[in-house]
Amino acid sequence: MSLSLGAFELTVERQQIPSRLVRIGAPTASVAFGLLVGALIIWAAGQDPILAYTEMAKKGFGGRLALTGTLVLATPLILTGLAAVVAFRMKVWNIGAEGQLILGAVASSGLGLWLGDNGIGGPVGIVLMLAAGAGAGALWAALAALPRAYLNTDEVISTLMLNFVALGIMNYLIFSSFSHWRDPGRATFPVGRFVDDSMFLHRFTGRLHIGLFIALAAAGVLWWALRSTRWGFEVWVTGDSPRAALYSGMRVDRKILSVLMVSGALAGLGGGIEVGGVLGNLDPRALSLGVGFAGIVVAALARLSPLGVIPVAILVASFTNAKPGLQVLGIPSEIVTLLEGILFLCIVGGEWFLRNALRLQRRAGPVEAAAS
Amino acid sequence: MTGDSNPAASPAEPDTSEVAGGEPRAAARLSAITKSFFGVPANDRVDFDLRWGEIHALLGENGAGKSTLCSVLAGLYHPDSGEIHLDSERVDLASPQQALEHGVGMVYQHFRLVDRFTVAENLALGHPETGFVTSRRSLERQVAELGRRYGLEVSPKAAIWQLSVGEQQRVEILKLLYRGVRILILDEPTAVLTPQEAQSLFKTMRAMAADGQAIIFVSHKLDEVLEVSDRVTVLRDGERVGSMETAEADPATLARMMVGRDLATPDRTKTTAGAAALSVRGLFADGDRGLEALRDVDLEVKESQIVGVAGVAGNGQRELAEVITGLRRSKRGQIFLGDVDITRSSTLDRIKLGLGFVPEDRMRTGMAGGLPLAANLALKAYRQPPLSKGPVVSQKAVEERARSLEKQFDIRGVRWAMPTSLLSGGNIQRAILARELSARPRVLVAAAPTRGLDVAAIDAIRQILLDERDAGTAILMISEDLEEILDLSDEIVVLYEGRVMGRLDPDDASPEVLGMLMAGRTAEGAGTTAGPADDAAADTATEPA
Repeated sequence: MSLSLGAFELTVERQQIPSRLVRIGAPTASVAFGLLVGALIIWAAGQDPILAYTEMAKKGFGGRLALTGTLVLATPLILTGLAAVVAFRMKVWNIGAEGQLILGAVASSGLGLWLGDNGIGGPVGIVLMLAAGAGAGALWAALAALPRAYLNTDEVISTLMLNFVALGIMNYLIFSSFSHWRDPGRATFPVGRFVDDSMFLHRFTGRLHIGLFIALAAAGVLWWALRSTRWGFEVWVTGDSPRAALYSGMRVDRKILSVLMVSGALAGLGGGIEVGGVLGNLDPRALSLGVGFAGIVVAALARLSPLGVIPVAILVASFTNAKPGLQVLGIPSEIVTLLEGILFLCIVGGEWFLRNALRLQRRAGPVEAAAS
Repeated sequence: MTGDSNPAASPAEPDTSEVAGGEPRAAARLSAITKSFFGVPANDRVDFDLRWGEIHALLGENGAGKSTLCSVLAGLYHPDSGEIHLDSERVDLASPQQALEHGVGMVYQHFRLVDRFTVAENLALGHPETGFVTSRRSLERQVAELGRRYGLEVSPKAAIWQLSVGEQQRVEILKLLYRGVRILILDEPTAVLTPQEAQSLFKTMRAMAADGQAIIFVSHKLDEVLEVSDRVTVLRDGERVGSMETAEADPATLARMMVGRDLATPDRTKTTAGAAALSVRGLFADGDRGLEALRDVDLEVKESQIVGVAGVAGNGQRELAEVITGLRRSKRGQIFLGDVDITRSSTLDRIKLGLGFVPEDRMRTGMAGGLPLAANLALKAYRQPPLSKGPVVSQKAVEERARSLEKQFDIRGVRWAMPTSLLSGGNIQRAILARELSARPRVLVAAAPTRGLDVAAIDAIRQILLDERDAGTAILMISEDLEEILDLSDEIVVLYEGRVMGRLDPDDASPEVLGMLMAGRTAEGAGTTAGPADDAAADTATEPA
């Protein structure tokens, strides 16, 4: 493909291995371009783009309160981001992190309450509670994984639909029944019962709790497992060519099952951490904010890198954290949502430069021939 | 012409004014058609003529240029040189659309139908007279009418996905008839059909020819050609060998024309074969479409022996390789590796027992094309030390092993992190052999080991196979390349429609005998066991009486 511009010719060539400069330069330039487009839109909306950006940075990262708030919001996002990374690496499309996170929260709070009722608490209780969250997420994912692995059903649809089932279960437990989860003392507006104080995750400063470090550790473990284990190697091969995997004696069905269950476990752990670190109970309003879906965006922006998920999740969380503060200054929070969308489009669009090389050349032929 | 297509003169077919005196008018004439791909001629100055009211068979091996010639006439390919005349008028067909406007249509091996649409909807789709509003009922009536006339019965209201492959093929033909096509090209139409469906297709073809239309029937099956065609043209290596009236043709002549290059007897060292390493007994298996692809196959490969499986593509070779290596289930029969029954073993267990496999589909089965070569070279060995310890794979060991195999097997052009698919075909095949042979297999199944490679790579790969045989490995080599089969094999087995048509010693194998076996004819007196395919043909051969 080529485009002529006067004496020059712009040619596009497919390239398979981008240079280091392009690998780092393309995403950076994409973000810069996205911020520029965003600034134009903010300006067109009658706001001061520079003020908006500085305020966003300030409300997201400026000061202890802002920073810890961002990190607390980033914690479940890192985990759902990792959930998407592990599945998407094998080209298995788990769109159900949302539901897996909810089921994780249901199981964690349920077990946490039961343990508290039976006088068990403290670190043992916390570990059991989080394990229940991860386990429930894995089992919920298995509901989609089993038919995918053995009957070749479409996991996009099954995982997506299970989100709504999970949401329905959670709403039923709190709003429509006097279940184990519901606080019987509150008659006016139904809320979930709180777990024992001894089972709250350890807090460092402000609202920052130990869950962040669990999420960071999960990212590290996943990075290592994908890179350096037999399991990771099999995921790599299966993702590229399931036939080549079968040919080399790998069990593709089991790989689908394990990858989807690990993915579900990560999302479920996110639900458990939300209960133990932030909410303390099963709170349907706080658990249906789309963290599972946002994880897909985080994973895509991190180009399916487990470690890349961390900074991306923190950035996206800072946007969310900045929203209420901007509103106070008269900048509508929709601007932030808009900017998120623009940045996402620009970064995805920038991927094109990783696969194609542009060359600007002086045109040979008639022009030169005439000159000589 | 055989008797049954002469009545062409009687039925009313308005614009097929023909048969003035004895010489029928030409429907199409292709002169000196040349078409090359990447510098390799697929058609080299091919002449071809087609008459109204005839079924003209185009016979040849894989790669003889049949499909290319048909695609030129159907407007899919533009010839590099040569002329096309339709009804004595010089035409330039720039697209299949233009060919259709001239009344030329082709049924491809892979159907082009919309699965969720009904038969009638598929016919309306892309038809120039389909307006914004179309009467479904009149359309369905027309379809049913056309179907009755040519014995192409299929319900106009049925959705395509509900139909069998044979019925879908009828829809493809109906689609062309509905568009007013009068020169119909059928590219290996019987390859996907059951024998009964094939018979029904032949009836349709005869009815159309009797109506004055012209049909090109592409096939590599001698019996079918002899049964249904009026004339036959044989292509070989992109050139026309000759044409004749089918009534004057006999199977032996046609087979010689099809295969008949000079086959030099190779000078190779005879090794003494050892004990049986791979035995296949009474094997049955289904193909992808659910048709039986292997029927009662018996095979034995001994240590230090190459058994060559010859046959035209699609006669069960791929399924045979897949069943032996565990990628496809067998329905009946047994497979032994040495004394071990592996019929029900997993692919992994077979690998561990010493079964190596060079698959025909290198880029998606033999290799994960998007991964770097080092990973692909580790595809099977990653499970054991030194590449892995417990659950951990050592990147360093993987890379070191890749470098040593690259050197040992002379794999060139490798850059770290480069997707394997960017390597040349020859280097990819060397890499697959490197991986398979470094596992020291007892039995190697090699499918189409040199297909698509350049001459230097072919020689290198063949030498590797011969060395491996001399080192004691039992090799089952599946190939469509007869020269390769004759050059390398210690014993030849011919597959036809999933059956073993015959077994030969390469020293006694003449191109004629091989060609006959590959085309489904048992060669009388060639020391082969009679194949079972003959009874079906005998029923229909006497029809014109």
